[in-house]
Parts: sequence; C-alpha cells; structure tokens
Amino acid sequence: MCYLQHAMNEIDWFPLALSLRVALIATLIVVVAGVALGWLFARKRFRGRELLDSVITLPLVLPPTVLGYYLLVLLGRSSPAGRAIESLTGQPIVFTWQGAVVAASVGALPLMVKTARAAIASVDRSLEDAARTLGRSEWQVFRRVTLPLASRGIVAASILAFARALGDFGATLMVAGNIPGRTQTAAIAIYDATQAGRDDYALMLVLILSLVALSLVYVTNILVRSGD
Amino acid sequence: MLSVSIRKDLGKTLGPAGVFSLDVEFEAQPGVTVLFGASGSGKTTTLQSIAGLLKPDSGRIAIGGDALFDSERGIDLPIRKRRVGYVFQNLALFPHLTVRANVEFGINGPDRRERARRADEIMEALYIRHTAGRLPRDISGGEAQRVALARALCCGPRLLLLDEPLSAIDEATKLGIIDDLKTLNRQLRLPIIYVTHSRDEAVALGAEVIIYERGRVIARGEPLEVFGSPVTMSVARLTGVENIFEGSVITKSERAGTMTVRLEDSSGVCSLEVPLSSRTPGEMVKIAVRPGDILMATEEPRHTSARNVLRGNVLTIEQRSDRTVVRVASGVCWSVSVTRQAVDELELSAGKEVWLAIKSHSCHLLEV
Repeated sequence: MCYLQHAMNEIDWFPLALSLRVALIATLIVVVAGVALGWLFARKRFRGRELLDSVITLPLVLPPTVLGYYLLVLLGRSSPAGRAIESLTGQPIVFTWQGAVVAASVGALPLMVKTARAAIASVDRSLEDAARTLGRSEWQVFRRVTLPLASRGIVAASILAFARALGDFGATLMVAGNIPGRTQTAAIAIYDATQAGRDDYALMLVLILSLVALSLVYVTNILVRSGD
Repeated sequence: MLSVSIRKDLGKTLGPAGVFSLDVEFEAQPGVTVLFGASGSGKTTTLQSIAGLLKPDSGRIAIGGDALFDSERGIDLPIRKRRVGYVFQNLALFPHLTVRANVEFGINGPDRRERARRADEIMEALYIRHTAGRLPRDISGGEAQRVALARALCCGPRLLLLDEPLSAIDEATKLGIIDDLKTLNRQLRLPIIYVTHSRDEAVALGAEVIIYERGRVIARGEPLEVFGSPVTMSVARLTGVENIFEGSVITKSERAGTMTVRLEDSSGVCSLEVPLSSRTPGEMVKIAVRPGDILMATEEPRHTSARNVLRGNVLTIEQRSDRTVVRVASGVCWSVSVTRQAVDELELSAGKEVWLAIKSHSCHLLEV
C-alpha cells in the first residue's frame, strides 16, 4: 500500500492534466464554432459555401504536421495575427499551452461541423417555419426549436470532438512544442517516454488514454442509437 | 379583409413536370374561404406567400389596409411580424414540447400566469384541455389537429391559413373540428383561408369557394353554385362531373325553353333535350351531367317530368370509396352514381337493360 502511494507520487501527472485542460477548452470553442458553422451549412445558401466547407474539412485529410505548419506560420511571432495576440495578451501564443488549444480546436472542428450540420439538417424545416409564423425571431427559432431537436446529435458530436482534441499529436507538437511541464500533453509525453526508454510510463498513459477514448465512443454510440 | 394579388414564376422550383406560374387575385372576408383545386395548382404556394414563407415575384398582399407584401412599395414584412396563423399540412407540432408549451409558444409577454390563462381558454374552446401535459406523439390525430389550431389562434392572428389540415383524419372527427372552428370564429371574425382538394370539405365549410387550376383562379362563388353548375370544362372536371360530351345543336324550341342536342363520343351517338342557349343549330356545344343527377330504372319510366328518358345496357358496376358508379351504354357511355342498396334492389348486373331519366336542367352547357 505504502509502495503504491509512493509510486503514485512519483508519477508525473502533468501531461494528463494538461491534455484534459486543453481538450476541455478546445471542446468549448469547437462546440460554439461548430454549431454555428453547422447551422450555416445546413440552412443557408451563400457564395463561397463549398469553398468554406472544403477549407474546414482540410484538417481531416491533411497530415497533422502540414496543419501545424500552417498554424505556426499563421500565429507565429512575425505574423500579423501572432503580433496582434502578443500585443493583447503580452505573450506569444506559439509554444504555449494556449497554442495547443488552438491546434486541438482546428483538428477537432471538421468532425464537429459535419455532425452538427447533419443533426441540424435532420430537423424538419416546417417546425422552424411554424415557429416563425408564431412570431419568433430567428434566434428564438434556433434556441427553442432547432437546437433542442438537434441536441442529441450535437452532444454526441461534442463528445467526439473532446476525444479528438484529447489525442491531438502532430499539430500540437508543431505549434506548442514539447516542453515538459509547460506544453507536453499526454500524447506527446507517450512519444517522449518511448524515445527515452521509459516504457512503463508510456504504457500507463497509453492505457489511460485508450480507456477514456473507449468510454467516450461507447457513450456516443449509445446516445446516437437511442435516438432511432 | 384579406386581399391578394400576386404573381410568381414557379418554373424553376417545381421542375419540368410542373412548370407553371402563379397569377392570382382574390379577396377574402371574415369567415371561411375555401381554396379548391388539384394538387400542384398553386394553393399551398398562395398560402406560403401570404404567410411570408415564400416571396412572390410581384404583387400585393394586404390585411385591411395593412400591406404584408407590396412589390411596388418595396414592402416585404418578415414572417414573425405578419401575425398570420398557419396550420401546416403536417401540423408541425413541436415534438419536444408538451401540448401546453406548443399552444403557449406564440404568446408574447413575460407574465407566465397570463400566458397560461390564455392557453387554457383556447384549449378549453377546442376541447383539448385534458391533453395539456402530454407530448404530441401521445395524442390522437384529431387532438393533434385541434392543438395545431389552438397554437395558431393563440398568438392573436389577423388571419388563419389552413393547408389541407384535415386530410389525414376520419369524417366524423373532421366535421366536429370544422364545427368547433366555425363556432370559435363567430367571436374572432377572422378571415380563414382553407386549402383542400376534397369537394365534400369545400361544401361543408365554405361560404365562398375559389377554384384554382394551374396557378389561376378559374371560378369562384358559393360552393353549391360553383359545384352544382360548372361553367367551364376544367371546373366540371375538377368538381367531379364525369359525363362530359361534345355535340351539335339540332333544333331549338323557344316555347319549351329547350333545344335538342346530338351528343357523340367514341361509343356512339344520342340526342338530349337541354336548356335553351344562344347557340344556333349546327353549332358545337359541350354538355356536362353530374352522375348523381341521373335517375336509373329497370322499367321504362312513364309520366315523368324528366325530358330525357334513355334506354341502355349496364356495362360495368364500380364500387368506389364513397359510392357506386354504374356505367351505362345508351348511344354514348354514361356514368351514373347510385347507392349499394340500389344496385341490390334493382338487381343490376352487366348487360341488364335499364332506363336513364335526366332532367333537361341537369344538363349543363359548358362555355367552350
């Protein structure tokens, strides 16, 4: 017992805690942006719709390093966006844990947008029209009719987005780097531990991440099925 | 009063099968006005334009003096500001809300007690108070119709649009709802536009019927008048007249007030006494006779006021959902509607000799 406690104290929990924090914040961002974009794609026709759709889907098919490279260029200290963020917050965003949030968000967004779009498209439009004839504004129609009826799909999509953000590796490594105790997430720590021959530690993180991912996917499946 | 005068090109939206344009003009007073026509004739498009779900290319829609849409003045009120109650074909009840929440959905105002009171009042009037706590999936079809009506009426509309709302429920339930709606509207005095393709519903409901065909108003008036004496070929077809023949005027008798017309169809010829008109002998005419206006007998009727007594033979007997139609060859081929009981009592069967009696005033001359 005493030995176990000692072992537990020895273990570096920081990467897991960081991954959890990064994934939670990224999920919040992705849910808001994803639902808004999903609604836009499901309900509006506008110029450049197909192009926007393609750009948002890119992270799904690009090598994560390519995605990370773009983010690095876009948010780096010499880019306009990077400079703007730096002057606002007083620190650069690349090679910080906030940079990891950005990388995880961009990676998880396509999944969220596609699922939210399908969920919103499945809501009968005549229900929305009925709400409009009953004097409701577009925002109220969305909040009181569309969103509640699409909620099951959106919750399922959020869980998947969280799982995806939790496991981001390539883009995070490019944007946030591998700084132990600062930007080293669980996924990166596994790579690091394997390289350094700390196989026990790597195996522990692998098992924990696998268990979390399995539970999340399991819950999502149940959620989606029970809607049929 | 509602006044509508709109045009919309629907060629693109309906595809090649239904290429047509909507071009209609009518007014509707408080009370029920029925829009009657085949599916695809533009009835629903008209309702959607009035509610604001669809934008006409040009024209004007106004309630009283208030324009909802006016292409000339650039007015196009958003849906939520039109205060037009709309009962959708599929009812569109919110499946995630209780009956009460559905009914209260359109009521504005922060006072919850006041909202509940108004919802109670309208649910009471439509006899659905007992369903208030249930979800739409747990109520019957007739109750769902009443909930949709209550919801549309609850937000204080200036006009009520009903898009074939009763097509999915049985006759008795339907008539009950129609009665209750009429009773309710005695106080509300709303113009109610009711879209249907059922003749019986149109007759049961309407003080006024407007007949649509391919995006145009082709006739309007009291239901019995419009359905009873069709004036054009398309009205006759739409309103269920099955005996339409072409013929030529043979002789005219000013004194009797009739003229003799020789009818022709693919199976033969036959002459008929019809009401006098301005047509001259030799001119072509079209005659329509409703299947229900023909009397059938198995012996030659004597001493009858009917000017036309025709001898013929039964060809077929068709059992339809609401009546039996006997096809009889007597020069031309006639459709006669009779009851099931009459078929049995007259021992009708294919080949049997029968007599048809037709009053000359049941023979309608159609404008060609």
